[in-house]
Amino acid sequence: MIEVNNLHKSFIDKKNMVKALDGLSFTAKNGEITGILGPNGAGKTTCLRTLYGLLKADEGSVLVDGINVLEDPLAVRQRLGIFPDKFGLYERLTAYEQVDYFASLHGMQGAKKKAAIVQIFKDLEMEELAHRKTVGFSQGQRMKVTLAQALVHQPKNFVLDEPTRGLDVMSTRVLRNHLAKFKEKGHCILFSSHVMQEVAALCDRVIIVSNGKLAAQGTPQELCDLAGEKLLEDAFVKLIGSDEGVAA
Amino acid sequence: MIQFKALLIKELREAFRDKRALMVALSMGLLAPIMIMVISKTMIKEIVDNPPIYVQFTGAEFAPKLIEKFAVNNILQFANVPEDEKYAWQERNIEVDIPKDFAEKMLAGKAIDVVLRADFGKKASSSPIRRVKEVVREYSLAIGYKRLLVRGVDINLLQPIVLQEQDTALPTSNAVMVSMFLGIYLLMGAFVSGLSIAIDSSAGERERNVLEMLLCQPVSTLKIVLAKMTCASAISVLSIVIMLVLTTVSVGFIDLTKIGATFSLNAFSIAALLLLLIPLCFFATALQLFFSFQAKSFKEAQSTVSMLIMLPAMVPFAIMMIDDKPEWVNWLPISGQSMLMEDVFKGLPVDWAVLASTTAITVAMTVALVLALAHKLKSEKVVMSLS
Repeated sequence: MIEVNNLHKSFIDKKNMVKALDGLSFTAKNGEITGILGPNGAGKTTCLRTLYGLLKADEGSVLVDGINVLEDPLAVRQRLGIFPDKFGLYERLTAYEQVDYFASLHGMQGAKKKAAIVQIFKDLEMEELAHRKTVGFSQGQRMKVTLAQALVHQPKNFVLDEPTRGLDVMSTRVLRNHLAKFKEKGHCILFSSHVMQEVAALCDRVIIVSNGKLAAQGTPQELCDLAGEKLLEDAFVKLIGSDEGVAA
Repeated sequence: MIQFKALLIKELREAFRDKRALMVALSMGLLAPIMIMVISKTMIKEIVDNPPIYVQFTGAEFAPKLIEKFAVNNILQFANVPEDEKYAWQERNIEVDIPKDFAEKMLAGKAIDVVLRADFGKKASSSPIRRVKEVVREYSLAIGYKRLLVRGVDINLLQPIVLQEQDTALPTSNAVMVSMFLGIYLLMGAFVSGLSIAIDSSAGERERNVLEMLLCQPVSTLKIVLAKMTCASAISVLSIVIMLVLTTVSVGFIDLTKIGATFSLNAFSIAALLLLLIPLCFFATALQLFFSFQAKSFKEAQSTVSMLIMLPAMVPFAIMMIDDKPEWVNWLPISGQSMLMEDVFKGLPVDWAVLASTTAITVAMTVALVLALAHKLKSEKVVMSLS
């Protein structure tokens, strides 16, 4: 369960105040997939980074399973599986070593760690990648490794920042199936995206963010009804009040 | 502890798999003994041997005995120069003019002007010039003594005072050169060996987009910094150990006593040197990490950190130039170690109090850098520059 309450965040960029978040609030519940939609620069990544504790909110709070990220960022991160905005791989390590590294950072060790790694490789159908160095991996393979290292400790909450960027249909389906599986196990999944079909197909609830504020929320169907449109894309444009950034 | 172990193992794995960075790191250690050998060998040759000197004599036929005396001392006619050395001696262009009336004046007991013409400022010519002067002086004195002897005068009368020179400086200036070179080399080793690994694990990771992922993990930035520092420092310590061991072995092949060098690298002095240098390795990598984590790109990190290499090269020279050193110079990193190393090479007893205080200050500064960096990695500025 992730609760975001009245989040404010400004950056000072060359003496100009840029308001990235302006009182954003939403809740991502367990057993649901929550999608964050928003044009470029709406504050999605800032919001997620505040959630990981990388940025400190000027005002408002983020609670993950009831723990305030400002008070105990390490405990919050322990409960999160993070698929960041920009992800790279350690190209001199094998996929297995890399996942092993992140498992150890989450305090796993011994037989338990080994079993968890073997399991996640099996779940993501990537056993044949395990002992190859990650240099030269395709975008889909890189996504799988990143997903494996984010999920190896079986986090209760799972945050993905535009995970389908640059992925082909097959890889997107693997990701989607995996998210659906996690949802069934009662995990809380929060992910940001630009791809409307995906959000419509996958999400139980959609949060539309615009100018650092909550523009609308509800199921994809509710949002369409609210805007009086048939397609989520049209509803989205109408709800944020402009067509700026949709093309991205 | 699990986390730190995992961080460290990962850093070491990456470092040892980055063959090029590792090669750069260890090449200094592997090259050190060769450099020391070559430098000492040329020095020894220059000082101890009497290599042939080729001088352009004019009027050699007027003073055959003098020419003979020159030849005995391996000072030869330019006409005899071997082809491969011809250019070098042409460059030096040392000329000796013997006047036509040499024999005549000698008979008459008048002063003879023999001219020595050369570039006295040229370093390559200084030893030949010295030897030519010496031969002429000796020859002249020998004739003078004989003249007095045949007139029944005791030649000791000419020397009312004999100055006995006793040099208390343990190594001669040349030995100082060798040991100073080794000292600077070791300092450079401490600074340079871990450099590429420090940059790669900080600015390199940022550029490869893996730093954000690491910062999102439930691990304190202090552990991250410590692991990265330990890894890069381990490489530079390794490089220094290789350097010392190989130098000890290679120095055994050269007779350094010939140039008055008294230092020997025994187990004790190696231990003392390691004790000095290991904290410096950690200090150097902490400094490098501190700057390269703040750089915006790999390239920026490289140029900033490269400037740090100037420190170990410049500080020992600067210290050499200052005659009245203030006492605090003893305690600072680099300068303190550099002066203590000088003592070790001279064979002087190690000043443990100074060693302890220098080490303590170096360690304290390292700790301060690590804490500051760990704090900085938590700041939003670092996070913002991730994208």
